[in-house]
Amino acid sequence: MLAWLLPGAGHFFLGQRGLGAVFFVAISFAYGTGLAIGGVKTSINPYLNRWLFLAELGAGGYTTAGFLLGNAVGGINARQTAQVVHKEGFDPAEQRRLEDHLAPYVSYYPESDVAQIYLAAAGLLNLLAILDALARAQTGGLPVFHHETAAGGAPAGGSDQ
Amino acid sequence: MTALPALLLAWLPFVHPLKLPPGTRLWMFLPLAACIAVVYRATRARQARELPRAAVRTFVHIVVGMCALAVAAYVLYEAVLRLTAG
Repeated sequence: MLAWLLPGAGHFFLGQRGLGAVFFVAISFAYGTGLAIGGVKTSINPYLNRWLFLAELGAGGYTTAGFLLGNAVGGINARQTAQVVHKEGFDPAEQRRLEDHLAPYVSYYPESDVAQIYLAAAGLLNLLAILDALARAQTGGLPVFHHETAAGGAPAGGSDQ
Repeated sequence: MTALPALLLAWLPFVHPLKLPPGTRLWMFLPLAACIAVVYRATRARQARELPRAAVRTFVHIVVGMCALAVAAYVLYEAVLRLTAG
């Protein structure tokens, strides 16, 4: 739960502060870069791209904050933003007015593609970090693939404090 | 002279999308590959100090692998073009 809210927090809580910092920096950098390039309004919107949103939910704390921010700015909520982008539900004059209104908040190709890849990758990487934190909690600090590394003759270890 | 500060003040990070300079889209692959290499290697590391060398090695593997795939796709594309032209 901690790792889902904040990348690396699970490892930090387990006492592996070095690894926690690594997860936090790497995942936050990817998520922040994607969000800076794509903007919250259209990059974190389940009505626009539900599969992307599902991948972003891997980094739940960031995605929740981004979704709330995206709903708050621009005076148009996420559902209406999706209707404007998909050009449905408004008469032509209103559609044009809303498109002009949303223009500063919307990213276009190729930036939108780059943002989506970064955000989805960051969410999925955080899922990996969550699973790793769970595995380390169950094995007393050993990584997920500790069986493989043990077979290769790596020395046993524990916390990296 | 007042346009730039006004523009900077009007720009809010994460709210207003950044515009990438032309031609940078492909290079944006490198930081993402680095993040993926670091996180993947961190899940296999027993301690944080094992990480840098393994992460660099994985990063190089990813970049070389993607370049090899790009070259293979390009060669296939050219081959299909020549076969269909004849």
